[in-house]
Amino acid sequence: MTRVKLPQRTIESINGMVKLYKKEQSQFKTFARQVHDLFSEHPLLVPYIHSMKYRVKKPDHLRRKLLKKAREAYGRKEKFLITEANLYEEIDDLAGVRILHLHTEQMTEINASLLKIIEEQKYVLISGPVANTWDIEYEKFFKGLNMQISERDTMYTSVHYVLGANNIYQTRCELQVRTLMEEVWGEVSHKINYPIETSSISCKEQIKVLARVTSSCTRLVDSIFKSYHEHQSFHTSKK
Amino acid sequence: MKLDSNSRHKAIRIALYNHKGGVGKTTLTVNIASALADKGYKVLLVDSDPQCNLTSYLFEESVVDSLLDESDTQKGRTLWSVLKPIVEAEGNYNYVSPYDTLVPHLMLLAGDIRLAEFEESLGLFWGECLQRRIRGFRGTNALSAFVNQCCHKFEIDYVFYDTGPNIGPLNRIILLDCDYFIVPVSCDLFSIRALKSLGHTLASWITDWRTITRLAPVDIYLMTGKPKFLGYIPQRFKIYGGAITRISQKYIAKLEKVIFSEIVSILRDIDEGLVDKRAHVAKLGEVKDFSTLIQQAQSEGVPLSKTTAGTAGQKEQAARAFDKIAKAIILKTL
Repeated sequence: MTRVKLPQRTIESINGMVKLYKKEQSQFKTFARQVHDLFSEHPLLVPYIHSMKYRVKKPDHLRRKLLKKAREAYGRKEKFLITEANLYEEIDDLAGVRILHLHTEQMTEINASLLKIIEEQKYVLISGPVANTWDIEYEKFFKGLNMQISERDTMYTSVHYVLGANNIYQTRCELQVRTLMEEVWGEVSHKINYPIETSSISCKEQIKVLARVTSSCTRLVDSIFKSYHEHQSFHTSKK
Repeated sequence: MKLDSNSRHKAIRIALYNHKGGVGKTTLTVNIASALADKGYKVLLVDSDPQCNLTSYLFEESVVDSLLDESDTQKGRTLWSVLKPIVEAEGNYNYVSPYDTLVPHLMLLAGDIRLAEFEESLGLFWGECLQRRIRGFRGTNALSAFVNQCCHKFEIDYVFYDTGPNIGPLNRIILLDCDYFIVPVSCDLFSIRALKSLGHTLASWITDWRTITRLAPVDIYLMTGKPKFLGYIPQRFKIYGGAITRISQKYIAKLEKVIFSEIVSILRDIDEGLVDKRAHVAKLGEVKDFSTLIQQAQSEGVPLSKTTAGTAGQKEQAARAFDKIAKAIILKTL
């Protein structure tokens, strides 16, 4: 792809947005920590959560993201519409929280609890849950939970929610829920392709294969737990 | 009216606050509030000090005892009766009506020693506010919300909170609910020393609350968190032959300096709006040592000017001193 040259005023506008974000970054950090603590300590979720983490976007990564979006817009001969006024609405993941769990079928309980806690604590669900998946079997499962389905050509998988603090600033945070195996794939892919996508075809190929391997592992863990629970209930009913 | 009503009544909330003890906060509070009530304003006193000095000032001992005995029951009408459900995590606060006092237009929300238990929970609620938990917000704002409800119901003009001599979590929510605070000071070295930490404490409360409210949901009741410095009142200075003694004068000059460097300038640094533009006229009035009148007035539950003890001249002096302060307050809070 040829690199689109951005007009000076767009670059200045992006610099202004990054500067604004730098000034208010601590608020996003506080918010991410609040969301992290809320879910990680909540008795409804504790049985399902393996671990959690949170982070805020680095100002430099925001700059890259905005430059990329601007180039994409100009490349399509469209206007770049992100400004300081709508920055926090357009970029959902300045604050990010991730929940890791063991296997996909736990999403039934996790999703129900998340929605309940979000309402109870007066957060707003701005978007989601959106399930990113490429697996037809899991697509059906997520649809059964009333989730929107999104398929990315990178083979990325995770369920996304965007939460708003429902405060005067409309601060938001992206919540990602994924299995441990999906995390393995995600981390490898991130290290290789972020912030600059690798041009190595063999790396790209192997990452796609890894997606199949980790997805199979998650599916296997689902199956193991299903067998385990059946086994347990069979033996309890016999007693 | 909804209990969690978001609308803040226009009544002006004021606290006389100095974490240094023995500066006459309660006596000043009663007398200033009475002077305002005398002018026809509807004034609500809130005895938010677990030591209940304000309630003891206005009510007879036996009355106070029975109030405290009943406060935990269905009949209870103290601040503990109000806040108990919050402490015991049983939901919202419980509404009770304030008491009338011997002074017309002056009402009282009675204090309670068990407010100390509420204060303990406030520490926990504050932590929960920092985590943006609804329970934390409800607990932290409960006293303010209840006082607000009383203001709506009785069309109150001024609220005066009595404060204990400390920088604990109860005083934190009182100050954050106030529109103004007044610093009573006595003319001695300890009083001056205490002022040095007062400004910093207030500044950290205000900035912490600002951090909390930035992420708080818009549809819940929140304290405003902007207590403006209204002024200071020097008192208990010595008079000799009708004039303030030189030693007291020396302290007053020092006090003034410290108030500017340790309160006014620190608050101004965090928010210009916290300091009145006319902050250079920070002295609201002055109250000399009325020691003999005070004892009698406290036992009768009336302001100094209405006690049966003392000479007419002394009472006239007291009435004038508090009338002057009341006028200054009206002028500055218009």
